Amino acid sequence: MLAFHLLHRNWRSGELKLLSFSIILAVTVLAAISAFTSRLQSTLINESNSVLGADYVITGSYPHNPDWDLLAKEKSVSFTRAAHFSSMVFAGDEMHLASVKAVDDGYPLRGHFDVSDYPFSVDAREIQSVSQGPRPGEVWVDSRLLPLLKIKIGDQLAVGEENLRVSKVLMSEPDSASPFSMFGARVLMHYQDLVATQVIQPGSRIEYKWLLASNSQAQLKQFIETIKPQLTQHQRISDIQSSQDNIGRTLKTSQQFLLLTAMIAVLLAGVAISISARQFSDRHIDQVALMKSMGASANRVRQLYFTQLMFLAAIASGLGLILGELLQQIIAVSVQKAYQIQLGEADWTVYSKSYLSGFICLIFFALPALWYLPSVSPLKILRRELKVLQPQVWLQSIFALLAVLLLVIIFSRDLKLAITLCAGLLAVIVVSLIVAFLFLRLAKLMIHRLGGFWRLAFAALLRKPGQSLVQILVFSIAIMLLYTLVIIRTSLIEEWKLQVPADAPNHFLVNIPPENLPAVKELLKKNQIRPEPIYPMMRARLIQINDVETTEEQRSTINALRRELNITWAQKLADDNKLLAGQWWDQWTRSAADVPGVSVEMETAKNIGLKLGDQLTFSIGGLIVKAEVASFRSLDWRSMRPNFFFIFEPGSLDDYSPTYITSIYLSKPQKVLINHLLQENPSILVIELDRIIEQIQKIIQQVSDGVLLVMCLTLVGGCLVLFAAVISSVDNRKKEAGLLRALGSPKQLILGSILVEFAVLGLLSGVIAIIGAEVLLLGLQAWVFKSPIQPHYIYWFLSPVSGVLLLMFMGYFSCRKIVITPPSIILREAN
Amino acid sequence: MNSSEVVKGLVEAKNVTKKVDTQEGELIILHPINISIAAGESIAITGASGSGKSTLLGILAGLDLPSSGDVIIDDQIITQMDEEGRAKVRAAQVGFIFQSFQLLPGLTALENVMLPLELRGDKSAKSKAENFLTKVGLASRFQHYPPQLSGGEQQRVAIARAFACNPKILFADEPTGNLDSITGEKIIDLLFDLNASYGTTLILITHEERLAKRCSRRIELEAGALIVSEMVL
Repeated sequence: MLAFHLLHRNWRSGELKLLSFSIILAVTVLAAISAFTSRLQSTLINESNSVLGADYVITGSYPHNPDWDLLAKEKSVSFTRAAHFSSMVFAGDEMHLASVKAVDDGYPLRGHFDVSDYPFSVDAREIQSVSQGPRPGEVWVDSRLLPLLKIKIGDQLAVGEENLRVSKVLMSEPDSASPFSMFGARVLMHYQDLVATQVIQPGSRIEYKWLLASNSQAQLKQFIETIKPQLTQHQRISDIQSSQDNIGRTLKTSQQFLLLTAMIAVLLAGVAISISARQFSDRHIDQVALMKSMGASANRVRQLYFTQLMFLAAIASGLGLILGELLQQIIAVSVQKAYQIQLGEADWTVYSKSYLSGFICLIFFALPALWYLPSVSPLKILRRELKVLQPQVWLQSIFALLAVLLLVIIFSRDLKLAITLCAGLLAVIVVSLIVAFLFLRLAKLMIHRLGGFWRLAFAALLRKPGQSLVQILVFSIAIMLLYTLVIIRTSLIEEWKLQVPADAPNHFLVNIPPENLPAVKELLKKNQIRPEPIYPMMRARLIQINDVETTEEQRSTINALRRELNITWAQKLADDNKLLAGQWWDQWTRSAADVPGVSVEMETAKNIGLKLGDQLTFSIGGLIVKAEVASFRSLDWRSMRPNFFFIFEPGSLDDYSPTYITSIYLSKPQKVLINHLLQENPSILVIELDRIIEQIQKIIQQVSDGVLLVMCLTLVGGCLVLFAAVISSVDNRKKEAGLLRALGSPKQLILGSILVEFAVLGLLSGVIAIIGAEVLLLGLQAWVFKSPIQPHYIYWFLSPVSGVLLLMFMGYFSCRKIVITPPSIILREAN
Repeated sequence: MNSSEVVKGLVEAKNVTKKVDTQEGELIILHPINISIAAGESIAITGASGSGKSTLLGILAGLDLPSSGDVIIDDQIITQMDEEGRAKVRAAQVGFIFQSFQLLPGLTALENVMLPLELRGDKSAKSKAENFLTKVGLASRFQHYPPQLSGGEQQRVAIARAFACNPKILFADEPTGNLDSITGEKIIDLLFDLNASYGTTLILITHEERLAKRCSRRIELEAGALIVSEMVL
């Protein structure tokens, strides 16, 4: 077929190399990113689901309906069960309150246990990962339980009425975020031994879990929908997104960021395709005129070029897919080695979408540049000076925006992301046009005052204003997209890491009696552990607002009115609290009511409907205390410090007897301190958050590293686009440089003018890029990532500077041969 | 000046004019021109630069439309056709040779000659192209690219391409313009030999007297008007 022959001939002549390379690049990057993110997402979800130990968990105060087991089997849904409770455990004369978990065969469905024969071990060689729990008759125990109960591996431990052999030390486990797990040392036993323990009595507080997982998320979701209506009021379903706010949020934003990266990669490739298509079409004007003089109709020409493009898309997309898969495998292997994880399989639709995107990129980015070719007049063959109608930049821009819209919708179905990206692109296009127009006007005025290579450079920019505009637009878009990626990633990482700072307190000490406080402080000091501020704490219930009793409805809907609250008093406003309204104690004075002041957390105040000056009545152990709302505060729950909804004026509760609360950071080896603390102060409650914090930090680390890798890939793509744009202008420069050299211009003059030209383009593009990036970021931060909106001043400097340096470097690299090759050769090549 | 002839021919121009609008006002490129070219004739269009020769050639070949008047090729009024219609006439009847050869640099000599045959769907394009390239003395240069050929060789390829489709009418725009005199002479000989063999009607633009003398008729343009139309003895 003629189209195929022409394609082969065009390929052989090198005409199609840049265009096909751009398509291959687009599909390679898209396939690699999409496949890798699909694998990373399924791994992250699996890893995150190890926090639950499953994909879904049905929790309740009674065991689940056994009929559901058959239903689950029919749907190929894996299931197992667990039960959590607190119980005293005994070893000889020693006893301790423990958090016990009984797990059935198959637990965990996601994640694994880390166990050891040595307590408090930090040596990786002494720790084994296992996928099954203890056998019937055995228990695995927390490290600190061994010295606490004076036992060792192999000894017996009594749980309720049953004696079980201690076979392993439990280092870490999935599902450690359960409230039961945080209070007391952990004990893991087999579900079969549960009955024999006789801990299950009427009125026992036991949390039953039915854990579910499946390779087919679609089937699992279907199964969940089937049993949802059958749940009792005592049962609830959770998955990772609903049960762990911070992990859920992290996962969602990481998904969105990775998609954004993929889209930006496609956009960058699309720009490269547009540039190379324009170059291809410019070079084919003569061929089309010749073919038309030979009798080819416009339709025939259109059909021939369109068919060539489709063949090219099919071949290039196929190659891109293969390369993308190879690239993705290379990245996956290094990630798997680095993190000792097994990445899941990519969803197959990722490959078909990536293949299709090659065609979409070609049609939307290349076709507008080629559409005018069939209308080239055959008279062009005789009249070389005849102007050819070329596609307008605005038309190409519209098609580019449509391509973005379509691709974002195909890959993410996130309309907000699509619209935000298009808005950012539109902003940069409009600003580019305005800036380019103003600059060219200014250049026209200034040029007469310039000399040397400055004059040459400005003359070159003015000589082809259309080309200058296109270059500014292309460079601006590329730099804008790259900076958007970098800025978004940086702010996301910061936000994620703020969720759990590295040295944040990971244990709470609660219920410290006042008489034991000095000894506790001394013990911490001796072990060089600095506690966060220590607060007095009491339980109180808010019963009246402005002397009006709270209603049943209020108590049922507002959390702060439904239950007893922890209240405190403090002289100083904590660092992680911010005063939003009213005054703190150093400035506040009592009103005529002469009651002490109370500072209220803002969200709680909003929920209750409080105003400054409202009179509140509290019941503290049956005793009435009145207070006046003195201020509203915000607080940071992520600081892992004791935080309170209500803080009273100092001295106002001196007649009451509080206990004390604080939080501390303990490393793994330091955890043995908890035993000393509890031995000397048995009434103290230690809440261990280290395990869940560790899990969150691990996931955040994986996500941020995955995001970094993917972003680097896109950055490479972006640099290639910039390079393609620079290379595309080399053709025109060759002729000019050859003529100038032939007329005697020194090399330095020509090279200097090229460098100045690119520096100017880089400066303008850098400025436009950061304006476009701020617009794009505004949308992304406000609607997509829902993160704080803020300008990025440092990049206002970095963007123009990097634009200048990058383009000067690329300009030098691509044009250096022009100035060292003899002019006769250059002119011959150019003609 | 004699600006009109009324004889039915293979190619006829009837009151053909060409005007363009410029900043200085309307510019007349061709005054009303009437020509009739019989089948098998060879006609040289001569005149100074800017006399309208290329414009007239383009109109006669159907590449351009006149501002007024008609052009008839083989009883078909091409000036009343759209571009698609004129393309069909060109495909069926017309061949071109250009001053700058107009070979596609990415195609081999053979592929350049094959192109017009392939465009019309000729299944034996390759063999025909090989035949014509051999006729023009380039049997050993089938796989060479235009930059690898001399000027004369490139023009031979262009001639082979033009004749490969067996056109009734061959338009040539300064076919020896880019060649030295010796090479040009050879090209002229080749052109007229093939023209005689195939009985093509030849319409060419030339500055060269020797080329004009080889034609059976010569017309001269001056400032867009036909001033001379004479048989060459």
